[in-house]
Amino acid sequence: MTNRRLQQIKGHLLVEDKCAEMAAPNSPLSTHVLNTGIGVPGARMPLSLHRQDPSTSLWNLLTTGITNDDGRCPGLISRELFTPAVYKLRFETGKYWESLGETSFYPYVEIVFTITDHSQKFHIPLLCSRFSYSTYRGS
Amino acid sequence: MPGDKTSKSSYRLVVRLNQPHHQSSKMSFKPQEDPLTTHVLNTADGVPGARMALSLHRLDSKRVIWNLVTMGTTDEDGCCTGLIASEAFTPGMYKMRFETGQYWESLGHTSFYPYVEIVFTIKDPSQRFHLPLLLSRFSYSTYRGS
Repeated sequence: MTNRRLQQIKGHLLVEDKCAEMAAPNSPLSTHVLNTGIGVPGARMPLSLHRQDPSTSLWNLLTTGITNDDGRCPGLISRELFTPAVYKLRFETGKYWESLGETSFYPYVEIVFTITDHSQKFHIPLLCSRFSYSTYRGS
Repeated sequence: MPGDKTSKSSYRLVVRLNQPHHQSSKMSFKPQEDPLTTHVLNTADGVPGARMALSLHRLDSKRVIWNLVTMGTTDEDGCCTGLIASEAFTPGMYKMRFETGQYWESLGHTSFYPYVEIVFTIKDPSQRFHLPLLLSRFSYSTYRGS
């Protein structure tokens, strides 16, 4: 059985690996969601990565996933697909807070960023509470 | 122009609703009665985010499109008054878009974020909502104030 097949089976069995690290090991783009309201990782938050088509300005969906218990989502994109462009990370913060029995000021958070040097690594965390959020470019 | 402190006394504001892509003019009202305000701060340089273009949009939930409500520019204090009149400030989903890329470009810098959009839900429009944006070239934050 190949390693790829093993990873596929692992992906079926382990829901928390839904970001499919087997599809994009060593992703040059990573994220980390932190629930600053409670001081815990933002676990089980759905998110998606999109790339903007420069000719039409339309957004193309690249990856959907859900953060693991640590608030991370490995395997967002492979290095080959990570071309210079404008990208968007969308975090379903409203659904997240709803799953915790809370309302939130923000139904979702979209962070739009420009990648010019795709050889670098980019870490885009989201620190959020019900009524605030922040992000920064890490590596 | 919105946000222009020198013309506050002769400020006229007309809000055009449900007309996408129309540049709104303004309706007369007192800036201190703004139900929605913003303040942009350049945390990298420790100065107000002055002369930043921004716009307010409301989601038309039936057609699932964003309708432009107001366009404006922050003043020297990084503030932009007259975003929306109380009468027009109905419950719904709104979006504040800040042209951060253009802002940094005007200062001779590049930026990681071409723009910042903050989407928020208003359930009780009788409250006051203050949505600041604190930003640098590689980070930003916002919170719900009042």
